[in-house]
Amino acid sequence: MTSLHALTTSFVAAAGEGEEHIDRTHSAWLPEGYEIWFGGIASVMIFGLLYWKAWPLVKKGMTARTERVQAELDAAQQAEDDATAEAARIRSAKGDIESERARLLAEADQRAEALLNDGRARLEREIEELEAKSIADIASASSRSADEMRSEIARFAAAAAERVVESSLDEATQLRLIEDFIANVGATTPQGASA
Amino acid sequence: MNASNQAGSAGGNRIDGYARALFEIARAEGTLDEVEDELFRFARSYESSDELHKALTDDMIPAAKRQSIVEDLLGGKATPTTVQLVSLVVAGGRARDLPAIIDRLVQRAAASKDSEVAEVRSAVALSEDQQDRLRAALANATGRTVSLKVVVDPAVLGGIVATVGDTVIDGTVRAHLDQLMSRL
Repeated sequence: MTSLHALTTSFVAAAGEGEEHIDRTHSAWLPEGYEIWFGGIASVMIFGLLYWKAWPLVKKGMTARTERVQAELDAAQQAEDDATAEAARIRSAKGDIESERARLLAEADQRAEALLNDGRARLEREIEELEAKSIADIASASSRSADEMRSEIARFAAAAAERVVESSLDEATQLRLIEDFIANVGATTPQGASA
Repeated sequence: MNASNQAGSAGGNRIDGYARALFEIARAEGTLDEVEDELFRFARSYESSDELHKALTDDMIPAAKRQSIVEDLLGGKATPTTVQLVSLVVAGGRARDLPAIIDRLVQRAAASKDSEVAEVRSAVALSEDQQDRLRAALANATGRTVSLKVVVDPAVLGGIVATVGDTVIDGTVRAHLDQLMSRL
């Protein structure tokens, strides 16, 4: 308390010494000496205060920001690694798909070829069978038609013969047929009965 | 023996029974030859006439009506014994078996005379002389006495076909035409 009083007294005394030049400083560029003292001490106090109170906060904020940025960098790195792995997996899968596609296409081609061959063979067999059946049907139809025609001709011929015979069977002919029958039967023996 | 054989045997026995009864009646009447001849001709007519066959075998027609049909048909054309015998069979509901009964009766009559029935079909009627000579010819051919039953059948066209037992002697124009048809 005593020192502070002494310091204030010295300041006032110093102020009284320069009373006649109060409206201007000793230097156009530098402040007065006590102002330098006061300013320096105040600056030291302010900087000390700032260093004591604000710097830990700033440091903490900087550290947190650094950690956040590092975390973001790590996440970005992880994402890049994941993307690289996924890209590799996709490239691998794409390769597998290509090979599977090629295998399926080859298998489909084989099956199609086999089916085509089977179908061709079956078609050829069916054509041969149809040809054989058609030939047989034609032959059968031809034979049947010929048989039917022969039968029809025979029927007409028999009907015509019957008409002719009926018209020629007069009483004399009937009598002669009966007499011939009696004569023929009478001429046969018991072992060889025939007319 | 199964059911069908039993039924067939029963039917055969029934036909034999009727034939024996008719035979005995005709023989007792002393008109066997005439009656069997009339019955034979009636049997052939009955076989060839669908209308008569239907009328006499229709169970919906009363027996008396069927008997009157027989009497109308045969009255004046056959002996009373023949008419009565046919009426008897028809009234008994055995009209379907009439041809078989009559054929059995004819066979029985022929057997009683130690002869065999010769069924002769001709397109025209045979005279007595022709029948006598034909009977002699068939007896000569078969070695047995035959009882001639002549049926006038225009379907044979001309000539004669004679059936004696299992032997058939066919000299008809129809047979020749059939042979011609077969060859054609």
